[in-house]
Amino acid sequence: MLPKIKKFYSYSLVFLILIAIIVPSTTWAIGDSSKFRIPQILYQGGNSKPRPEAIVSLLAQLAKRTSVNVKRQEIDLKISDPSLFRHPLIYLAGDSGFKPFPKKEIKILRNYLNFGGFLLIDDNSAKANSDFDKSVRNLISELFPRSPIRKIPRDHSIFRSFYLINRVAGRAEIQPYLEGVSIKGRTVLVYSSNDLGGAWSRNKLGYWNYDMVGGGKTQRDLSIRLGVNITLYALTLDYKKDMVHLPIILERLRRYNSP
Amino acid sequence: MNFILNLLNIPSSEYNDWEIRLTSGLSYVTWIILAYLFIGALFCFWSGLSRIRSPRKKFLIFGLRVIVFLLVAALLFQPELELKKTRELKNTVAVLLDNSKSMSIKTFPEEITRATILTRAFEENSQYFEELRKNFRLEIYYSSNQLEPVSLSDVTRLYKPNGIRTDFKNVFNELKKRHDGKSLKGILLFSDGGDLEEGFNEISPTMKEIVDSLEAPIYSLQTGSNDSFKDLSVSRLDAPDFGFLYQPIKVEAVIDAFAIGNKNIPVTLKEGNKILVSKNLEIREGKTRYRVQLEFIPNTLGVNVYKISVPLISGESIVSNNIKEFRIKTVKDRMRILHLTGRPGWDSRFLREVLINNPKVDLLSFFILRSLSDDVAASTSELSLIPFPSNLLFSDYLASFDLVIFQNFKFSPFIEKKFLENISSYVHNGGSFLMIGGELSFQGGGYERTPVEKVLPVKIRDRMELFSEAEFNAKVEERYWRHPILRLEKNEKQNQAAWDSLPKLNGLNAGLKAVSGAQVLIHDGFSKTKGSSPVFSILKFGKGKSMAMATDSSWNWNFLKIGEGGSGRYYQTFWNNVVAWVAGGPETQTLLIETDRERYAEKEKVLMKIKTLGEDFNPFKKADIEIVIRSISKKGEILRKRLTTDKNGEANFEFLPKGEGFFSAKVEWKRESETLNSETRFGVFSDNAEFEKPKINNLLLETFAKISGGEHRVLKENSNLKDIAFSASKVREKTGSATFGLWDNWFSFGLIVGLLSLDWLLRRRSGLS
Repeated sequence: MLPKIKKFYSYSLVFLILIAIIVPSTTWAIGDSSKFRIPQILYQGGNSKPRPEAIVSLLAQLAKRTSVNVKRQEIDLKISDPSLFRHPLIYLAGDSGFKPFPKKEIKILRNYLNFGGFLLIDDNSAKANSDFDKSVRNLISELFPRSPIRKIPRDHSIFRSFYLINRVAGRAEIQPYLEGVSIKGRTVLVYSSNDLGGAWSRNKLGYWNYDMVGGGKTQRDLSIRLGVNITLYALTLDYKKDMVHLPIILERLRRYNSP
Repeated sequence: MNFILNLLNIPSSEYNDWEIRLTSGLSYVTWIILAYLFIGALFCFWSGLSRIRSPRKKFLIFGLRVIVFLLVAALLFQPELELKKTRELKNTVAVLLDNSKSMSIKTFPEEITRATILTRAFEENSQYFEELRKNFRLEIYYSSNQLEPVSLSDVTRLYKPNGIRTDFKNVFNELKKRHDGKSLKGILLFSDGGDLEEGFNEISPTMKEIVDSLEAPIYSLQTGSNDSFKDLSVSRLDAPDFGFLYQPIKVEAVIDAFAIGNKNIPVTLKEGNKILVSKNLEIREGKTRYRVQLEFIPNTLGVNVYKISVPLISGESIVSNNIKEFRIKTVKDRMRILHLTGRPGWDSRFLREVLINNPKVDLLSFFILRSLSDDVAASTSELSLIPFPSNLLFSDYLASFDLVIFQNFKFSPFIEKKFLENISSYVHNGGSFLMIGGELSFQGGGYERTPVEKVLPVKIRDRMELFSEAEFNAKVEERYWRHPILRLEKNEKQNQAAWDSLPKLNGLNAGLKAVSGAQVLIHDGFSKTKGSSPVFSILKFGKGKSMAMATDSSWNWNFLKIGEGGSGRYYQTFWNNVVAWVAGGPETQTLLIETDRERYAEKEKVLMKIKTLGEDFNPFKKADIEIVIRSISKKGEILRKRLTTDKNGEANFEFLPKGEGFFSAKVEWKRESETLNSETRFGVFSDNAEFEKPKINNLLLETFAKISGGEHRVLKENSNLKDIAFSASKVREKTGSATFGLWDNWFSFGLIVGLLSLDWLLRRRSGLS
C-alpha cells in the first residue's frame, strides 16, 4: 500500500511541476509590483538599520489589520537608487548621527517629496536630543529651508486615517507628539522621536525584539496603530477629512475622549 | 465768343463760355524779385536814354522796352485760354426725415405716433414738395445716425421708424460732404430732436459749429409734443452671462415710470410662459427710476432665455419697452464623481489627488480600508471607519453622480448583486462608469456575467488569466490620435512625443477583449506576437459612457516620470481629459455647431461653423447635415437647409436675422446608425437707447432754426408748409472744356524778337550802342 501511495504522490508532484511549467505567465494574484512595500533608506555614517525587522513587522500588521495588499519584503535603498520613485513611501531610521546627504541626493529627495513621495523618519535611539535627531533636523532644514518642521496637530488626518489616536506612542515616549513638514497642504515628511520601529519589531518566531520603555502592551499597540495610520495617510491622504466621514468621526472622537 | 471760336475754327455749338487763366507755378517771392529786377532794369535803361534830345524818340524807345518787358512778364505768367461747355443747375433743398426708433413713441392727446405725424404732414403737403422739386434739386433722406436717400414718391410708403439712434452731428456732416461746393439753399428737418448726446437745456458748441458750417437755413419741423407723456418701462437689466444649475441667480432690473401716478405693479420674471418669480413694485409720483432685484434657481442645463416684464398701462407712449429678454447659460457647478476603491494603493492615491485638485469635480471617495477577514485589534469606537452606505449610493443617489469609478474594487460583500443592475440602468440612462484595474477588478472582482460586464467596453475572454506582470509601453491606437482623451499636447506631433515619453506600465488585467462598438484607445503593444490586449477602452452604452482601464499602474506616468526628471503633467492631463470626456464639453463632440459670437446687433450676419468628426475624431468628409434655425422668442421655425461638409469635415453657414430676439441653430447628422445633434443659441439685440430719453427735445430743434436763420414749427394736423420758401439763384456747372496756351507759340516769341530789333535799330540811329 505504501509504495502505491508514494507512487501516487510522485506522479502528482510531476503533474504539478508540469502545470507550473506550462502556464508560467499566468498568475492568480496581482503582480508583485503592485503590492505595497516600504523601502528603508541607507545612508553614509551612523547606523541605517538599528531595527532591521521593523518594516517587515509593520507590513505584517498592515496585512493583518487592513485591506492593504502588502509584500513582506525588506528593501534597502539609497536615495540615488533609480527605483526610488517606484515606492512613494520610504522609511529612514537610525540611532546615531549620520553624514549630511550629498547635494545630489538632497535634490532627488526634495523632488521626491515635493511631487508625491512621503518620508517617515524614526529615531531609534530612545534619547532626547540624540545625535540622530541633530542629523535629522539638519537634513530637514537643508531639504526645506522655507518650510520648517512643525508639530503635527491632533486634528491631522494621520490621527484618524484608520484608528482614532489621541496619544503619540513609541517604544520610548520621548516626545508626546509627531513632527512633520507640509507642502501645499500635504504632509510629506513625518518624524517620530519615539523609536516606533523598536515597538514594531518582531522576530520570525513571533516574539517582540525590544521591550517597551515605561509602558507595556498598550503602548506597543498604540505604536503599531500609529504606524498603520501613518501608512494609510500616505496611501489615502486627507480622505478621512471628506465631509462624508466627518459626522461619524467627530461623534466617535467625542465619546472616545470623554472620560 | 463767336469771334474766338471762328478764329480757332471750332463749331459754335461745342462751347458756350470762355476764360483766360494764368498757369504759371512761380511763387510770390519769385514774382516780387522779378518785378524788382524789371523796375531796376527800366530805371537804368531810362538813365541810358539821357543823351537823346528828342523827347518823342526817347519815349518811343522807352515805350518799346516797356512793351518787351511786359511781353516777357506775360510769357512768365503762362496764360491759357479755356473754352467751356456749361449748363445751369438748380439749387438744392434737403429734406431730412427722422426715422429713429423714438419716432414710434406716441404723442398725446391725439394718441398717434410721431412717425404718423411726420408721414401725415408729408402727405398733406405733397403739392408743396412737388413744387419744390420743380424749382430745386430736392434731396430727401431718412435720417437717424446716417443719411439714407429716398425718392419723393416712396417717402411715406417706405418710412419705418427703425433707425438705431439719432445722431445730428453725423447726419449734418454727411450732408455737408454731399453738398461741398454745391448750392444748398435750405434744409427741412422733420424730427423729435431726440439726439441722446444733446441735453434739454442747451446745445453743444460742436453742434453749433456744424450747423454754422452748413451755410443753409434749417426749418425744424417738430413731430409731436411732450404733453401728457406717459410711460412704464424695463429700461435696463443687470444679469450674469452664466449661472450654475440649482444655484440661485440674481437679476436686477431698472424700471422707469413717467406720469403713471401712484400704482402697485408686478415685475415678473418668466422662462417661456412659466412665471419663475414676481415682485410687487410701488410706483409713486415724483420718482421716476426704481431698481428691483429678482432671484431664481435654474433647473435646466444650457442656454436659457428669460424675460422680465411690467404691465402695459393704458395710454403709454411706448409699448415695446415693457418687456426685456435676456439669456443665461446654465452650467453644472461641478461634476459629481463617486470613487470606490477596493483597497488603498498608489494607483488610487494618485488618481484621487488628480480628481480632488480638479476644480470642476465634486468628489465622493470611499476606500475599503478593512475586509471582513482583517483583525483590527480594536473596538469599532476606536476606528475611524464608517459603514459603507451601499443602499443609499446605489439606489437613491446613484443618478446624482456624473461618473462612478470602481478602482480595484470587488463589489461583494459591499454591494448587493441586485444593485449591479442599477449601475447598468444608470449608464443606459446617461451616467458614466469607469472600472480601473487591479486584482479586485474585472474577473478578480467577480464581474463576469453580471450587469456591470454588459456595460463595460471589454468582456471577460478568459476567466483563468487574471493578470499579466510583464512591463509594457502603452500604445495609442493609430486612428485615435485625435481623440480628446488622448490629447496630452495640442500639437499632434508633440502629442505623439508625449505618449512616447511616458514610463512603462507594469501589470495588466489580462483575459479581456473589446466588445463590439468599443474603442480601444490604448493597448499593450504586444500585437505582433500574441495579440494586443486593451489597456484603456471606451464605449457608448445607451445614453451613457463606460470606460475600462485594465491596469493599476497608470500612476507610473506620474511618479516614475518625475523620477526620470519629468513631471506628472501628462498623467494629470490624461485623467482630466477622461473627466472632460464624461462632462461632454465641446471638444468631446463629433458634431459641433458654433456661432462666431453669442450676441449680434440688428442687421448683422450670424456666421456659423459646423464640424463633423468620425468616431475616431478625424474629420468626416462630405457629411450630409441639416440645419434648422428657430426663433425662441417667437417660437417658430425660420429656416431649414441641407448642407454638405467639405474635405475637412467643415461647413460654414450665414444667417441674417430679420429682427431682434433669441434664436437657436440646431444641426442634425445621421452618421451610420446613430443620429447626432448639436445646438447653439444666439441673441440679436436692437439698440433701444433712444427710449432712454424718450421726450421731445424742442430746444434743440429751435436752436437749429435760430442759428441757421431758419424757422422752428410744431407740426399739427393740416400744418401748411407753403410759406417756407428758398432763394432760387442759379449756378452753372461745367460739363466740358478745351484749353489753348497763349504764350508757347512762335507768334509770341517773334513779337518779342521784332520789338527788340526795332528797339536796337532806333537806339543805333540815335547814336546809342
